[in-house]
Amino acid sequence: MVVRNWSFLFALVAVLSVAAFLYAPFSPDWWLPNPHSAPGHSVSSMGREIDLLFIVILLITGLVFIGTQVALVWEAFTFVDQLDEQGKPKRAASYFHGDNRLEIVWTLVPAVILVFITIYQFGTWARIKYPSRNPKVPPLAEITARQFQWVMRYPGPDGRLHSPDDLILINDLHFVKNQPTLIHLKSSDVIHSFFLPQFRLKQDAVPGLTIPVWFDSDTAGSFELACAELCGWGHYKMRGNVTVHETEAEFAKWTSERIGEQNRDQLDLATDGEAR
Amino acid sequence: MITRSRFIVALGLAILLVTSAGCTDSLNAGPLSYVDNDALTHELKGKANLAGKPALQAKVRAALARIFGESPQRIRVPENSGFPSGGLSLANFRQVGEGESARIEPIYHQLPDGRPDPNHRQTGGYGLYRRNCLHCHGVSGAGDGPTAAFLFPPPRDFRKGIYKFTSTPSGARPHRDDLTRTIRDGLSGTSMPAFDALMTPSEIQQAVDYVIFLSMRGETELALIEEGSISDENDTEALGEEILKELTAGVFDRWKSAQTQVMNPTIPRTKSDHESVIRGRDLFLGRTKEKLECAGCHGALAKGDGPSFVPVDVFNMVVFGGDPSTRPERVDALDETLKTLWNQKPDDWGNPLRPANLVKGVFKGGRRPIDIFWRIAKGINGAQMPAHYPTLNEAQIWDLVNFVLALPYDPDLLASPPPMPRPKLAEAGASR
Repeated sequence: MVVRNWSFLFALVAVLSVAAFLYAPFSPDWWLPNPHSAPGHSVSSMGREIDLLFIVILLITGLVFIGTQVALVWEAFTFVDQLDEQGKPKRAASYFHGDNRLEIVWTLVPAVILVFITIYQFGTWARIKYPSRNPKVPPLAEITARQFQWVMRYPGPDGRLHSPDDLILINDLHFVKNQPTLIHLKSSDVIHSFFLPQFRLKQDAVPGLTIPVWFDSDTAGSFELACAELCGWGHYKMRGNVTVHETEAEFAKWTSERIGEQNRDQLDLATDGEAR
Repeated sequence: MITRSRFIVALGLAILLVTSAGCTDSLNAGPLSYVDNDALTHELKGKANLAGKPALQAKVRAALARIFGESPQRIRVPENSGFPSGGLSLANFRQVGEGESARIEPIYHQLPDGRPDPNHRQTGGYGLYRRNCLHCHGVSGAGDGPTAAFLFPPPRDFRKGIYKFTSTPSGARPHRDDLTRTIRDGLSGTSMPAFDALMTPSEIQQAVDYVIFLSMRGETELALIEEGSISDENDTEALGEEILKELTAGVFDRWKSAQTQVMNPTIPRTKSDHESVIRGRDLFLGRTKEKLECAGCHGALAKGDGPSFVPVDVFNMVVFGGDPSTRPERVDALDETLKTLWNQKPDDWGNPLRPANLVKGVFKGGRRPIDIFWRIAKGINGAQMPAHYPTLNEAQIWDLVNFVLALPYDPDLLASPPPMPRPKLAEAGASR
């Protein structure tokens, strides 16, 4: 009987890890899926699809995880080494040489699950990444990553990039709520990654390529842009501010203010300390 | 059976001990200390130094410790240094009282009504500097942090008090807003990143204060070394109290006076039409009676390849063509003409310089017309770009600004340049 008690000790490990798994969604550090008020809550349409995919995968892996833990505990308990009064094993060990049916089952079941996940996410991937599915809008900006900042070139009043009225800003991305927004992503040195965590969007910026990237937002406010590819010693400094404007007019007002500042030719010494 | 399990236990313990040895603080930096200026202890050719004068060296160190604090973690705010917050923005703790009754209390952010906000501790300029700036600019602001070796252009050495991109007259200290802009927006085309998304406006002000603090400390150190270099080692009066007061007052006054000397163009920018751009081009090419020599450095096509500097490929070979510590050897290998050119053109910190390629449209000091106006009118401190005001009047400078801003989008502006004489290019440059 004493030997069997060991199986309870081992069961403890399984119980604790399952408990940690079940507790995780209620922990304050949990980010997925988030209640609407939490900071990491997805604010883009693609973000909700991606969160759904994450949850589907989490459910599948979670069920498998709990199932394997239960099976482990049950086996440790059932097949524990039992001895009779003479100290001899009660049960003889039996040896068998493979089981084709078992092999087929435990190969096919995961394969089916993986194929299901592959097919299930096809639509989302295509919608986000295929250039043919990009929204048919002129690019909001050309964003060039360099060590260690994001150079953002907005087309300015004439709507054309690389013309003298371009608005050039560092680490400052602005767009309008509920509008599919397209950017052209470039890199001028090494591989960076354009990461908008609250939008669940991540795209590598590759030297020599101009990659169209699109996103939208259902919430106005301030969000974060980060580099998600270790790009050098200053990688952690490569952050940007993302501002989603409530209305087109608000965005236009911001744009004209920034263009006014970019065209500044005199200081307003009395009132304007910030601009100098 | 038993021996083996003992062996396994011992092995396990050994692995545990060896790996846990990495979990000590032994690799962390201890208390930080300022690094002496090289001129304090070393013989430097052509520069004032205190090599071989240990008594004066000790006096300089003692004076700096008394005025600015013994270490970066113990800051003293010098009297009359003119910090807007009385120096409170430099640290996160302050000492209240002296001697026995001295105590340390945290510094808080201020609420709009000026009272401290008990829920909001201040990081302080030193803390922000240590987190964001120190790895390049170094503990003493000498531009010698651990990542500095990987950068070109190298990070600024604050200790001269000279900053390149300023709105104040040529050679003057920068205005606080110049430093604010540099930290907030970074310097395009260099390794100085923009900190807009990493620090709040109030934190940027704290960092500005600390940079000014390091500058003042470095300038005082340099002034003391210069004063000491003409003093007698055995003179007990040397570097006395009076001299010290005079030198520090000079340092602080230079900073204070710069704050009221921002150069604001008195006339607005000329409309950037074709006539203005063409007038600017003619100024650039020296076709006017002012006979400007812009093309001499920036090149006839404004690609930063004028004959006053070594050709780009020679520059790249020397600066990037191998181990930075063997750069002098690569300079020595150049022929006489190129070597002379090279040696004429370091910046005030002794680093190699390159005139801007104006066709690229990358403007380190900012792309606003007023930024370019400042660059042309008052030059770039510490570099070879001279001040052009009042040689040129403001209207002419605006023509040049319009030309410079139009150039990246209209390369044909300089398509048919007049022939420029070039020095003979040597074999040395090509022999890599």
